[in-house]
Amino acid sequence: MEYVLRTHALKKVYGNFKALNGLSMNVPKGSIYGFVGKNGAGKTTLIRLVCGLQEPSAGEYTIYGQKNSQKGIAEERRRIGAVVETPSIYLDMTAEDNLKEQYRILGLPSFEGIDGLLKLVGLEYTGKKKAKNFSLGMRQRLGIAIALAGDPDFLILDEPVNGLDPQGIVEIRELILKLNREQGITVLISSHILDELSRLATHFGFIDKGQVIKEISASELEKVCRKCMHVTVSDTKSLVRVLDELGMEYAVLSEREADIFGEISVTELTMKLASGGCEILKIQEKDESLESYYINLLGGGKDE
Amino acid sequence: MNRLLSANFMRVKKNKCFWICSALMFVMGIYFAAGSYADMKKMGWNYTLDGNCFVYILFAPVLLAVFGSLFLGTEYSDGTIRNKVMVGHRRLHIYLSNLLTMLAAGIAFCALYLLPYLAVGIPLLGSFEADIRKILLIMAVTLVLICAYGAIYTMIAMLSSNKAGVTAGCILAAFVLLFSGVYISSRLEEPEFYTDYNYTVGGKIEDTGVKIKNPRYVDGKKREVYQFVYDFLPGGQEVQCVRKTLAHPFALPVYSGAILVLTTAGGIWLFRRKDIK
Repeated sequence: MEYVLRTHALKKVYGNFKALNGLSMNVPKGSIYGFVGKNGAGKTTLIRLVCGLQEPSAGEYTIYGQKNSQKGIAEERRRIGAVVETPSIYLDMTAEDNLKEQYRILGLPSFEGIDGLLKLVGLEYTGKKKAKNFSLGMRQRLGIAIALAGDPDFLILDEPVNGLDPQGIVEIRELILKLNREQGITVLISSHILDELSRLATHFGFIDKGQVIKEISASELEKVCRKCMHVTVSDTKSLVRVLDELGMEYAVLSEREADIFGEISVTELTMKLASGGCEILKIQEKDESLESYYINLLGGGKDE
Repeated sequence: MNRLLSANFMRVKKNKCFWICSALMFVMGIYFAAGSYADMKKMGWNYTLDGNCFVYILFAPVLLAVFGSLFLGTEYSDGTIRNKVMVGHRRLHIYLSNLLTMLAAGIAFCALYLLPYLAVGIPLLGSFEADIRKILLIMAVTLVLICAYGAIYTMIAMLSSNKAGVTAGCILAAFVLLFSGVYISSRLEEPEFYTDYNYTVGGKIEDTGVKIKNPRYVDGKKREVYQFVYDFLPGGQEVQCVRKTLAHPFALPVYSGAILVLTTAGGIWLFRRKDIK
């Protein structure tokens, strides 16, 4: 598998505080990597290191195979677009002027792509309105547009939906999906809004106390968090016979309990079991979410 | 670095504070020339073009402190310095481009006083009384001096992430340096002796002919140190330029140059190690 970003035993120390404590992670190319962790777990610190805003105290990382200690890292950073914490925009400038400024910083020969970028993020009608008068969502989208100005292959978004209204959240989500699917941009999103991440990410990295404690793909996670129907019956032997007949996947948990995976008609199951003399005592839908997976993984610690 | 400079100058062009400061310097240039002429006509006093020619060096550092701190402080307050670092610009280049922008703004402020002052002053007050070489030398000293101020403000602004703190720091630095210069100048100008007088009952003042040693007079090694600090400190140089009494005219640009180089080298060294948030 090709990786856009790999970190190895990365450490960052501020005084006596270890923000990152030997963090290792791998962001596959083309993925939407959800970086999950509590406040203060080290998400933003990692992003600051990767973006070159800060230097690691120990360890190393590679961007497109280039080590952070090598000179070529600056060149590889040009392939990154990022919004770290708050969007980096000049508040006394319009959206267009902000993008022009970024185009100059990047040394792009013309401003041709600006209209397209504004359209992409839905800010094409802002005209002479200054960024200081934008809503939080509009600023966030302008921040993303600036991050996209250099036509990056890798987009890093730090808490992109923090503080946004539901409409704003949906807009940002659709934008990220569009960028990933249509332009093949790899996205690293840090967030502690798990529900939102579960709708987007193809891969997850769980961070706690400056370390990645688990990396898992969305499909693996789906298997782990598989939706199922938990049934309590008078006789699981009859249940197994009926489920085999129906071709359902299941797991027998005890003499009276079992989990049934996949869609099943409850009426049909009840009638077949009744004809076999088996009684259904209880049916319960079980759906382990990303949230419960995360809580289990971190041992039920509360969000700070 | 050209890209960074181009981006900076476009920002300067759209910066209201820059235009307000420029307008102030421009208006002051006209005011000091026309005002001298008006006083000359009204009061009969004798004014020359030399008189207020270098007054700008008192105002330009203060206005540069205001403009520079707001202009560079915005990079941290709006977080836009991250855009420069993240796209791979070297910190050295980011620092130097900001320094050059500050120097250009400082020189522009000086020029924006001088041009209208000379344009209005020459027809009204005539040409310079002093040797033109001396005038050009003082001009050169002021230009290097404003660059030294620009370097000090750049260092403060690049090393502190707090815009309000940067603004306060830069303006404070401008005034502290100026008042230090004025203070040292006053100490150096203290007479060594003063005359003893007798006040008689009838209100008459009689010179006793006795010379009394002035306790505030600075002499010996201490005077040399005071003179060096007076020459070295930008505030001392300001006072000397305004009065057109340069004790060591060729040393002053060297001192300003040293301030520029030292603050820039130190600023770059620290900025390269700075954790940007």
